[in-house]
Amino acid sequence: MRLNFIQESTSSTVDTLTQSYSGKWEGTESIEQSSAFIQLMASNDLIFVVLGVSLIIWFVLLFYLIKVDRNVSKLEESFKEKENEA
Amino acid sequence: MKPWKYFVAVWMTVVITAGFLIRIPEIAILEQTARNLFLHVPMWFTMMVAFAMAFYYSIRYLNDEHLDWDIKAETATAVGLLFGLCGLFTGALWARFTWGTWWTFSEPRMNLSALAMLIFVAYFILRSAFNDREKRAKISAIYNIFGVTTIPFLLYIIPRQLPSLHPGAEGNPAFSDMTAPELRIIFYPAVIGFIGLAIWIMDIVKRYKQLQLKTSGSI
Repeated sequence: MRLNFIQESTSSTVDTLTQSYSGKWEGTESIEQSSAFIQLMASNDLIFVVLGVSLIIWFVLLFYLIKVDRNVSKLEESFKEKENEA
Repeated sequence: MKPWKYFVAVWMTVVITAGFLIRIPEIAILEQTARNLFLHVPMWFTMMVAFAMAFYYSIRYLNDEHLDWDIKAETATAVGLLFGLCGLFTGALWARFTWGTWWTFSEPRMNLSALAMLIFVAYFILRSAFNDREKRAKISAIYNIFGVTTIPFLLYIIPRQLPSLHPGAEGNPAFSDMTAPELRIIFYPAVIGFIGLAIWIMDIVKRYKQLQLKTSGSI
């Protein structure tokens, strides 16, 4: 499997671009150069990446849920006003 | 928006994060998928709570025939079905990597829970068959009471009598020796969180339906 080389080096930043294309891909940094956040995310078999993905999905869904909730509240209020007028 | 909803939002965020971060013991076959306990099992718990609510609302409807009870019963059933389907799909994925198959007809809990979902799909088909609101409400309330009554038999009583790979077979509780006690620290909060989320969704859907009734009825 082509994915194997990614699996082997999960503890560091994977430089897939350099491995796929010849020469050093500009802009990719080694694990020592990268920020503390990137180093943390690359640790523990990349489980933090899954956590990040899950949280992104959760926050997007949550945002939408709150938005719909507020829209329904607004509609309810406009209904109340109409009923009071009538 | 009511404050308890913000509480549910924060609670669920903490549960999801902690579910990934806690150290879990090494369990053969399951490995990291043991964390699915925080997601897959609460789906079924939440579904049970939602159907229990629908059961209660259906009885209340038959008691005084207020359409509001019918709206609540329909909403609770819809959300329960939604969570049940999530449980079914997550279970199939989990089974693929721990039992080696997406679906097996020799697994009673799998098939009976699919059957239970079909009973509630039929509930919505039944509802769509009536144009008269009162008639629809009454007949679907009766159907729902029957439907919810089958759930404990399909999901708990029968699967426990039969040999099965699923934890909780052959008279054992679902928490068996393969379930580490540490997992419960996240599991119970996850159950509470998902039930809170389900009640939140129900609240929005119910209010939407009430508005819908008002617009089609009076204006």
